[in-house]
This record gives sequence, structure tokens and C-alpha cells, in this order.
Amino acid sequence: MIITHESEQNMVALDNNQDTTIENEYRKSKIKSRIAWTIAFIFALIQLVLTLTPFFFMLINSFRKQFDMLQQGVFHLPDPWYFMNYVEVVTHGFFGFFFRSVVVVGISLVLMLIISAFAAYPLARMNFKLNPFIYATIVAMMSVPMHVTLIPIFKLTTNIGIYDSLKALIGPYVAFALPMSVFILTAFMKTIPREIEESAEIDGCNRYQNFFRMILPLSKSGLSTLAIYNGVAMWNEFAFANTLIITPSKKTLPLALGQFKGEHSLDIPIILAVLTLSVLPMISLFIIFQDKLVKGMMAGAVKG
Amino acid sequence: MSKGKKEGLAQAKAKSTAKAATVFLLPALLLIAIFIVYPVIDTFAISGYKWNGISTDRIFIGFENWKTLIHDEMFWKSFRHNLTVMVFSILLQIPIGMLLATFLDAGGKKFNIFKIIWFLPYLMSSVAIAFLFIYALATNGGIISSLATLINGKRTTVDLLGTSPNALFTVIGVMAWQFTPFYMVYFIAGYGNIDTSIYEAAIIDGATRGQYIRHIAIPLLGPIFKTACTMSLIGSLKYFDMIWNMTQGGPSGSTELMATYMYKLSFQQFNMGYGSCVAAGMFVLITAIALLFNKVFKVKEDY
Amino acid sequence: MKNKFLAVLFASVLAVTTLAGCGSSSAPASGTSDSKSSETKTETTETTTDTASASTGKQTDGKNLPTLTTEPLEILLWDIATDDPGKSTQEAAVQRFMADYPNIKVTQVHQQNDNYKQQLVVAMSSGQCPDMYMHWGGGPMAEYYKSGHAIDITDMYAKYDHPEFIDAAIAQSSYDGKLLAIPFGGLSGCDIYYNKTIFAEQGIEVPETIDELEAACEKLKAAGYIPFSLANASKWTGSMYYMYLVARHSGNAEFDAAYTQENGGSFNSPAFIYAAEKIQDWVRKGYFPDGVNSLTADDNQDRALMYDGSAAMMLHGSWQSSGMKNDNEEWYTQNIGVFRFPEDTEAKAAGVPQNVEIGTAIGNGFSFNCFKEDGSIDQEKLDACYVLATQYYNDDTYNQMQVAVGAIPSIKGYGADTVDDPNDKVVANVFFSASNVQLWYDQYLPASVTEVHKNCMTELFGLEKTPEEIGAEEDAAMQKAIAEQ
Repeated sequence: MIITHESEQNMVALDNNQDTTIENEYRKSKIKSRIAWTIAFIFALIQLVLTLTPFFFMLINSFRKQFDMLQQGVFHLPDPWYFMNYVEVVTHGFFGFFFRSVVVVGISLVLMLIISAFAAYPLARMNFKLNPFIYATIVAMMSVPMHVTLIPIFKLTTNIGIYDSLKALIGPYVAFALPMSVFILTAFMKTIPREIEESAEIDGCNRYQNFFRMILPLSKSGLSTLAIYNGVAMWNEFAFANTLIITPSKKTLPLALGQFKGEHSLDIPIILAVLTLSVLPMISLFIIFQDKLVKGMMAGAVKG
Repeated sequence: MSKGKKEGLAQAKAKSTAKAATVFLLPALLLIAIFIVYPVIDTFAISGYKWNGISTDRIFIGFENWKTLIHDEMFWKSFRHNLTVMVFSILLQIPIGMLLATFLDAGGKKFNIFKIIWFLPYLMSSVAIAFLFIYALATNGGIISSLATLINGKRTTVDLLGTSPNALFTVIGVMAWQFTPFYMVYFIAGYGNIDTSIYEAAIIDGATRGQYIRHIAIPLLGPIFKTACTMSLIGSLKYFDMIWNMTQGGPSGSTELMATYMYKLSFQQFNMGYGSCVAAGMFVLITAIALLFNKVFKVKEDY
Repeated sequence: MKNKFLAVLFASVLAVTTLAGCGSSSAPASGTSDSKSSETKTETTETTTDTASASTGKQTDGKNLPTLTTEPLEILLWDIATDDPGKSTQEAAVQRFMADYPNIKVTQVHQQNDNYKQQLVVAMSSGQCPDMYMHWGGGPMAEYYKSGHAIDITDMYAKYDHPEFIDAAIAQSSYDGKLLAIPFGGLSGCDIYYNKTIFAEQGIEVPETIDELEAACEKLKAAGYIPFSLANASKWTGSMYYMYLVARHSGNAEFDAAYTQENGGSFNSPAFIYAAEKIQDWVRKGYFPDGVNSLTADDNQDRALMYDGSAAMMLHGSWQSSGMKNDNEEWYTQNIGVFRFPEDTEAKAAGVPQNVEIGTAIGNGFSFNCFKEDGSIDQEKLDACYVLATQYYNDDTYNQMQVAVGAIPSIKGYGADTVDDPNDKVVANVFFSASNVQLWYDQYLPASVTEVHKNCMTELFGLEKTPEEIGAEEDAAMQKAIAEQ
């Protein structure tokens, strides 16, 4: 509640040499702000429940046998707690799937961020003839339904001999994330004040130095948003992985579910255990990196 | 003389700009050309054929598929569903995301726990989400039906996924649940991008936080805001994953979207020619809507 | 060069994984087959391998089969055996084959069931169709054949040795009089699972006629039970009721006529109207769970209603026995029984056969796509695939591993006597005494009609359309499909 406190302080500072009408107004605004915060907290709590329930569902049901889950209902606490699902998942090569996913997503994400920052820079900050056209084309490419590319990309990967290898996934992952990322980054880079670049130019920076010294660091919050958006999408991506990889020892995490899913058999608790294990690293990463998202604002708030 | 020099300089500058732009854009354009533009061209080409997708014979039929498409009730029905999804997605995801971001921005570090928990839905895969909601909304033992039974005092069923108008809105709700957290993070980043000196100046001038948000932050977030709307718009017009896992377009086509319709035609009903035509039609419609949206809500831009 | 390297790497990796798979899981399976072989062998001598072969090495020695090449050969095989028990059973068959023919490398790819049809379309469309691949027969098999991806093996089948498949299995592996597939998945019937405890508590006997079934439903309903557990978001589940009511009312006659749309055949003929009206009547009377169209069978929500004791019966495929047993064997043995879909007394009096059953006689079949670069048939490869599918899949060991997990091979000699589970015995009895086995509509009909049929099932159970409207929609779809052929 830093903020209420802060505005109070500001108000108090103003109050000292003002008459009673302003004092009343202050009181009013104080009450107003109290009410606003109360309402905000109620909504915050509702949202908390809404977002936690599924996790609760996923967690508790991953600790039961399918029969118990179906018989007792899915919102019943495990009775008894059953840990073998996790043992089964781990002994079915979970870590292999996991590390392959880390490699593919890691490489794809880094490539994608660099390439999209490269592309967004001229679109956001340079005036050249083709700019609107290229920008419009990239926006249009966002509307391509992913499934129409399955057959052409399958053909391409078989023709150049990278079918059934992790390499095959990197191309489509990077390419599919690009239009959206360029689009977002362009918007972010446009919010960077023009003067910053100009002052750098006066200091004798050329465009390339400008990009690396000024624009890229200032786009950090945009880049971290993109890393989150695309990282999650790539981590959970199923269709390309399923089409381009067939050897079991090369499959990535989203395909791990297949081992517990047959034509007529489906063990939901085991699948939930896989899903729980796959989401944990994402949560930890988010906890670590979410700080990057608020840097700018917080710096100001603390000083003020 | 000096005028000519100026022009020469401007020309040289334009030239170097073009060169720099090419260098920066090349990798992205190359990848997009290979993995997206080429398949799109291929899709348009196939839309001129009668082809089951697996045979070596395909019969060229010109614009027959397109003529069928124009009169295809199912396609337009799916398109209308997509539009409904689009409108509600923008109305739900963006404002709620914005509210959550504002709350977190105001609260600062102390609210990190909210931020982390609120973000959870976005981290889950569509498979998990589909599972969850199929059970949570089940008429037998689901949360909603159980609550209704509790309130009503007698066994009450709320059928959210199995009946016609309900299913689409249920799916829209689930989508909002899944994607709102992303827009939250997106707006947090947007707030983060505002120059801190602006905030300081506003506070020194005696602005309250509410005034700062209303009069300074939101206008400054304009481009970010528009981008978010465009993303949500395109995302909901080509949505596939979670719907496919949850309803497969059912019950009786009431949650059929353009993408699920296209998928069924191309990969399940051996009608690749027409499926490609639906995909191409989808591409044209989505692009048109997205560009139109960007035209209408033109935000002042300077280079 | 690179491709070759990849292929070798691939095969070796596969070999390692499959061997590892065997090591852990085949031990108990072979144990069961040993204990069982004495009883099974007597019934299957005519079909199974010559025991003398063991001494000379190959299990195919002494049989009338094509001579396989001694040159190196690679076969790419696609199936959907992603999980056990199917995985170990099928990998073991391929291992036995490769042990006998070390020059032939079989690369077995397990695709995920959900996306399998899409995977096939992608591969076939790119000219990368596997040499042999599994499918479920019916409409898609016909499509694969017409597109040149399934070789007609009628002559080979007549010329060489093969397991004695039951007639229904051969019928479901054929299209237009040509044999296009070798079955290997085992048959699946479709019968009514019921809770014995509830039936006993309510004093209900197993119904033999539809009238008795309805009486039982009334009684169950009155006692607060849901008579039928049904998860109709999956649509093919509701279709089972429709198919059976049609079959009991008219045998195969009206469906066959509607399928061709000739000689007045229509999905609006009396049996279809009867079935649709009956179902809607049952829906109105509350015989099905609330929100029936929102529950999905893929997520086992119908089983859940049986498990928590709220529903008493469930018309379902016979794979449910092993499914429920896996979930909780004790509960299953205590509570679950099965009976065949009851008879239509009036139709029976009119001479309509009452033993047409719904199900699949093949489960899965393998079709072959062995062509040379120039488009001619690669006979060497086809021979190898044929031997693999008929002699290693479907051999004694394979079948016993199948039986051990509750599957019933679609081979003569297997049946009620070869299965242990009392419910599976009932299923097998019903199946083997059927005059005809009607493949599920959603697999039998052309794919575009399937989609319409499935939507109709939602509307039928949701009371959104009348029986006549549903029939008319199916007719229109069928006519369109016929016109497009």
C-alpha cells in the first residue's frame, strides 16, 4: 500500500497552508481512495480464486488414482494420496522430454527475440518507402492459420533432410512467433522518445550503435513480454512437434502425454501429473523474471 | 547551391536508411517468406482444385470452391461465431487485463504474489485447460452445477457446454480466463515503459494517482493498447487449440470456428481443395478486419 | 548420405527402445502365454504356426509364403501403439520378424491416436506415405485405396498362408470386393454394461426385449438412478443407441439401402424413424443423464457416472471392460456385468434377424503402400510387409499377448473359450453368434457424412431436431457424397 501512503503524504504537504474546504476535499478523496481500494481488493480476491481453482484441480487430481477421481468427483481431496503417478511419469523418460524441450525452446526464443528486435527497429524508427507495405505484410501474416503450413513445412523438412530432428522445429517456431513479435515490438519501440535517439546521433552514434546502445536496452520490457508470450506458446506447442518428430527419443514435452493416452485408454491423473511437471519450470521462470517487467515504474515510485 | 547540398544530403540519408532497414529486416523477412508466405501461396493455389489431399490427381476447377464458399452456410456461421468470440474477447480480456495491471502497478512489489498467481492460467497448456473446464463445468459434479444445486436446494443442472447458445459463451469465458493474464503482463510492461520522469513530474504537480492514470498513463499507452486489441482480434479470429480440445466445434456446430471447420475439411473429410479455400478465405477476412481496425483507430505516429 | 545416416541412427535408437520395452514387459506376458498355450493350441492348430519351424530358426519355415529378399530392405510402419499393452505386444511382433529376417529393418512409428488421420494426410500428401500403416477400415480405407495408397492384396491372400480371419473381419477389410488390409487389432463388440448390485437391489432381471429394457429403466428411474450413463459430447457414443435400434428394427436391410440411397433407401425409412423416436422418448423420460451433450467419453465422464453409482447401465464398446478393470479391478468384478442389446419383439415376429451386432471385427488393419520410384508395385517390399502382418502380427505369441489383456483376435478359434473375463466371454459370445457385424456408422460412412451424422446425434439427444429432420439431413449428406464420387 505504498501508494495510498504516498498520496496521503502529498496531500498532507498541500494541506498545511490551505483552508478547510480543501481539508474536506482531502477527507473525501481519502474516503474515496479507501473505497476504491476495498473494491479493488475484492476483485483481486475473486480473480485469485478463479485462477487458483484450476491449479488446485490439476494438483489434487494428479495425486489420485483414476478410479478415485471419477468416483469421488474431481473436486474432492485425494483419499488416499497416491504418488505413483509421478513415479510413473519420471520413469517414462520425463527428463529426456524435458531437456529436449528446454533446448528447442531456448534456441528458438533467443533467435526469435534477436530477429524480431532487428526487424522492429527500422519499422518503428526509420522512414523509408516500403515501411508501410512491409509492416502491413507482417501484420497480415499474423492471420495465417497454422494448419495450412503443416504440409508445406513437412515437405520442406523432408526435402532438406532435417525431418525428425529437433532442428526441424526451430524454423517454424521462430517464423511463427515473428509476425506477432515484430508487431508488438514495433509498438513498444514507438513509445521510446525520439529525443533519446537524436541525442545519441549528436554524440556520433550510427544507426547500428544506436540500436544496440539505446533502443535494445530500452525495449527490455517489450522483449520480456514477448519472451513470456512466445516461450509459453513454444513450450506447449503440439502440432508441429507431433508432425515433424517421430522418433521417441527425439520427442519434446507436449508429446510426452501420448505415452499415457491410447486409442481407448486414458489415464487422466497421470496426464495431469505430466502437465503439473511441465508447468512448474514455467512458473519458476516467471517468478524469477517477472521483476524485469516493472522496473521503469517502480524506480519512479520509490523516488517519488 | 546550399539547397542542392541539402537535397544531396537527404538523398544520401534516405539511401543509408534504406540500406540499414534492409539489413535489419532481412532475417525476419526471409524466415517469414519460407515458413509463412510460401504456405499461404500454396493454400491459394490448392483452393483452385478439387482434391482429397492425398491423391496424386487433382482436378483444376477454377473458382468453383470460392463460389461454394460464398454460399456455404456453415462457413458464414463459423465466421459469425468468430466475430462473436472476437468482440467479447476484446471486451473482456483487454479491460480486465488493464485493470489487473493497473492494480499491480499501483501496488508495486508487495503485490507480486497476486501477479504470479494471476498469471498461472496463461502458463497452462490448452490440453490442461480443456480437461479442467470439461470437469469444472460438468453437469455431474461440476463446480457450477454443484453451486446451483446448493443455492436451489434441489438437484439443479446448469448445462454450459452441451446446449447451443451457452456453449459458445462458455468457450469465450474460458478463452478470457486463459488469455487475460497475458494482457495483464503486457500492460504491466507498457506501464514500465513510461518514462519515470513523467510520473515524477505529474506527482510534483499535485496529481493524484487516479488522475495520473487517467490523463497521463492511458493516453501514453495508446499504441500499446491498440496493439493489444489487434492481437486479441487476430487471435480470436484464428483460434483453434482449446476449442478443439474442448468441444471440437460441437454441440452440433454451435462452437464451430473457421479454423476448426477448415481443419475438419482438410484433415478429416478428405476435402483438401475446399479446406484450403476456407483457409484462404479466412486469411483474407482476418487480414481485412485487422487492417481495417488499424486504419480506423489510427494512433498518431511519428518516425 | 545424410538420410542414410539418419535412418541407421533412427533404427538403432528404435531397436534400443524396443528392446528395453520388451525387457520390462514381455516377461509376464510370455508367462501367461505358457500357462495358456495348452488350452489354446488345441483350438487353433489349423491357423497357427507349424511347431517344427522352431528347430530351423524362422517361425515361418515350412509355410506357403513368398520368399523374402536377402538384400537389405527398410520398411516404415505407422501405428498408434503409443501406450501399453498395445505398445509392447506390437513391438514384440516386429522384433520377432527382424530376428528372423535380419536384413530387413522395420521402423515402427507410434503416432498419437488423436491426430493420426491428420498425420496420414500430411504424409500421403507429401509423397511420404509409410510402407504399411494402420487404420480403422471403413470410409477412410476406401479413400486411401482410391488415392493409390492401399495395394489390393486379394490375390496374395488367396495364394499364400494367412491366419483364418473371421468372415466379418475380411468383410470389413475389403472395399468393392477387394481385400485392402490385414486385421490385427482384435474385435470390439458393443453391449450394455450394467451395475449388478443396483440390478439386484431393485430386483431387475437382465432384459431380453426392448420392452423389458424400458420397464427396467422405469424402475431404475423411480428409484432415483440414471438408467443409462451416456457421454454424448463425443457423439459416437449416442450413435451406438441409434445404430442398435435401427439394427433391431430392420437388421441390416434399411441401413444398407440408405447407404446407397437406391431403391427407396433413406435415413428416413421406418427403422431410422423408429430409432430416433425411441431415443427422443427416452430422453424425455429422463433415461439419460442431464446435460448428456456436454459429457465426453474421451474424458471418461460416462464411466464416472457408473463409478459413483448414479447410473445403472452403459451401452459401450467392449474395450470398457479392460478400461474399468484397470481403474479398479475389485470394484469391476463385484459390480459390473454385461448383456447384449435386447431384441425388438415385433420386428422379430416379422422375421427380422435379431443378431446383427454393432462393432468392429478388425479393430485396426494394416494397409500397404509399397511402390517403386516409377510408381509400379515394389513386390519385394510388399511380400515382406505381408509376411510381417500375417505371420508375426497375428501369430500365436501375438494373439496370446492380446488375449492376456482382454482383446479378442478376429481369428477363427478365438472366442468365448479363450477369454477369462466373464464379461468378455459374453461379448465374445454375442459377437461370434452375430449374423452380421455392422461397423460403427462413424467409421463406415464417408467422412463428410460421418460429420453430419455425428452432429445429428447431438441434435437427436438434445431434442433440437425431429427424427424426420435428422433423416433428411443424413440423406442430403449421403447423396452429396455419392454424387462427388
